[in-house]
Amino acid sequence: MQFTKDSFYMALLQRLVSLNPLQTVTLDGTTRPAIIVAENELVISAQPVSDAFYIEWGAAQMVPQHVGDRGLMEMECLISYHTFGTVQSGVDRGRALAALDMVLLSICEPPRTSKRDYTQSPSVDLGTSILWTTPSLGKVSGTEAAKNEGLPRGNDGVRLERSTSLRVFFFPEVSFL
Amino acid sequence: MSTLPVRAAMVPVTRQIRAYFAPMNRVAGTPSIFDPGKYGAFLLGAPPSPWLDLGWVENFQRFCTTLTEPLRAGMPGTPTTQFRGPLDARIEFDFREWGKLQMALACGSEHMNVLASDPTANAQPSGGTPLAAVAVLPGSTASQIVLGAGAVNAFSPGNLVAVDADYQQQTGYVGTGISAAYVSDPVDVSRDANYVRRVTFNVGRVAQQTVTSLLLAQPLLGGAPVSGASVQQVVAFVDREGGSFFQEWSALFIAEEESGGRVCFHYPRLSPTTAIEMSMPLTPTAQPRAVKAFHREDEVEITKPISSLALHAAFQAMPHVDENDSQTVVCYRSYFPAAMAAVY
Repeated sequence: MQFTKDSFYMALLQRLVSLNPLQTVTLDGTTRPAIIVAENELVISAQPVSDAFYIEWGAAQMVPQHVGDRGLMEMECLISYHTFGTVQSGVDRGRALAALDMVLLSICEPPRTSKRDYTQSPSVDLGTSILWTTPSLGKVSGTEAAKNEGLPRGNDGVRLERSTSLRVFFFPEVSFL
Repeated sequence: MSTLPVRAAMVPVTRQIRAYFAPMNRVAGTPSIFDPGKYGAFLLGAPPSPWLDLGWVENFQRFCTTLTEPLRAGMPGTPTTQFRGPLDARIEFDFREWGKLQMALACGSEHMNVLASDPTANAQPSGGTPLAAVAVLPGSTASQIVLGAGAVNAFSPGNLVAVDADYQQQTGYVGTGISAAYVSDPVDVSRDANYVRRVTFNVGRVAQQTVTSLLLAQPLLGGAPVSGASVQQVVAFVDREGGSFFQEWSALFIAEEESGGRVCFHYPRLSPTTAIEMSMPLTPTAQPRAVKAFHREDEVEITKPISSLALHAAFQAMPHVDENDSQTVVCYRSYFPAAMAAVY
């Protein structure tokens, strides 16, 4: 299962670097591509950085009708990101969020990659591929603004955030006989 | 890479089926052949010539109604051997994209280019008397149509154009590169000099215009214009229920590999059909039991009342003799195992 998580992250990271090498963040003094696996980071109380994709993994289960020796599993994946826009006034925050949406959709295509063991260097092809669904773009929520009853989503907030979800399918390394 | 064979890689996982078609040489009766050894697992977005990418298709179903008959002997009538009855295989699917080829294949008979009409012409359901054709000059290619200064201004970027020779009162198949129709008697087509351009597959969209040429967004399917060709504007496509002509194309369908190997289905000869018998007769003398209604288009609901329209297509697989062993077959299923997949 860890191979699946690593392979998914590495695929998206490599595609992001290829698509826009300037989309980076600085974490712990290190500049890196703006895609982060939350569970791999230091446990600190700092807020997530803006304009970066945060990957969180959820429940995993066997896919119905694909159980047994050649069982196929699926695992939930949540990718969240937020932005304040690119200008001081934040008036382009909606456009900045839409740009992040498009980047995410782009790096999720093609929706597959080979499953590799990244605990070794160079990584080792494990023989199968992982695949995933098209990301479902969840609602936009805005924060850090005064409550405005006329705008229930709070999209006038200076911080716009979106969570997306998808399902990743993979053949586990375990044989379920 | 690990050198251990992987059993999970033996499971082909796919998301969608992609369709490729290639024209048959109707005069010689020879199909376009997909050679798995020669073309291998090509990039799906860049099919080898002459295969044309017709996009993802849905509801792809392959039907085999070839019967096997046992030959029985002895008192208990036990099977001693068996043989195959009449070969019969069909496929059915939906084109999600509409285009000249998709319409022609889904309908199955002549596919008409509606030529821009002379405003004074009588109305005709497949297009009346068209505006005069413009002669194509030497030096033209499948992507660049040279018309000369001045003449080129009859067209604009964005126009669809049909590029082919004038009808010369010949009989037989017509259409440059791809047989688009069959003329039995010039009288049938009113000896219309524009007839070939009414049916030709040599259609393109003008992307840009130079002082002398039209630059097409996609190359003409039938290749460079023949000597004496002319060009006319196309405003729409029309197919018809009826007609005596049958399209016949070679086809290749590929189950895109998400995990595991690639599976390809190659039909050397496909001829469009409509009525699908729900069950074949069990004996040669019995009548087919029922015929399923055939929907020309399928509505794919987006949300009520919005839907997209898909072109429903069905084909009868026609026989082909495999030169390797002289066996008569109708389709080939090839499998490219994934790297390191176990063999069995």
